[in-house]
Amino acid sequence: MRIAIVFLAGMLASASAQEIKMPPGLERLGAKAEESVDVTLDGPLLQFASRVLSDKDPDEARAKKIVAGLKGIYVRSFEFAKEGEYNQAEIDAFRAQLQPPTWSRVAGVKSSRGGENAEVYFKMATGGDIGGLVVIAAEPKELTIVNIVGTIKPEDLADLSGEFGIPKLDFGARRQTSKQTPPPAPPKSKGKEPE
Amino acid sequence: MNRLEDALRGALRREEPPAGFAGRVLAAAQGRDQQRAVSRWWFFRQSPRLRWAAAFAAVVLLAGGGIEYRHQQRAKAERAKDQLMLALRITGSKLRLVQERIRWIEEAPMER
Repeated sequence: MRIAIVFLAGMLASASAQEIKMPPGLERLGAKAEESVDVTLDGPLLQFASRVLSDKDPDEARAKKIVAGLKGIYVRSFEFAKEGEYNQAEIDAFRAQLQPPTWSRVAGVKSSRGGENAEVYFKMATGGDIGGLVVIAAEPKELTIVNIVGTIKPEDLADLSGEFGIPKLDFGARRQTSKQTPPPAPPKSKGKEPE
Repeated sequence: MNRLEDALRGALRREEPPAGFAGRVLAAAQGRDQQRAVSRWWFFRQSPRLRWAAAFAAVVLLAGGGIEYRHQQRAKAERAKDQLMLALRITGSKLRLVQERIRWIEEAPMER
């Protein structure tokens, strides 16, 4: 009985940590994709990983700082050989979970010519911190969804976008915009799928 | 035939055990068990080297098990760390993508 209660509590804790549900069809996309990344790091595993992050390595030290307030990181990224491999309706259904006032869309870029869309959503927390972050980047041959659960300090967000070998992000001018011909996507340093 | 039957009947007839037989059998069995238990540990008691060897083997087994457990935990944590760093890099690259496009849109009218 006790085991059942502990198990149920664990499942509920895990479910509440993720809150936002990844589109169910994403699991099937891995088979179609040329490259795929599937990262699911729940609270205990996240803290477990942070214990081996080095304080000497600048990237790892920054990661350790960012992870301190997090409850979970979920990343699904797919790169396809041809267009139209993923279902836009599933992305729309995922986006529908990110409703105000809990969530606010802080940035979004759309290219009607290239069919590239990228959106950033914040879940606001008390004290000016960010309570969660969702990034949806949908391109004709690529789809990436990032769901970060937990508290992120604005300066950590700047670290996240500005470090790890990439320039700093300034969300001071939060605006949603749409343009016909955005610049080409920067070259990616795509990692291999972890075993 | 009758004689054979009589002989068999006589041989197989039930006889009551003498008084105290059951008690003696139980006492003998208990004594044998104790003797066996004593002889099992006698060798260890008499041989300090064997005692030390057994203790050493136990320590080696425990230490080996502990090291292997730590090694496995470390490997698991390293895999989780790699996943974490990958997740943060992907997140950072997508945030940068949005940032660059917003910057491009903001700067584009001024350049024209």
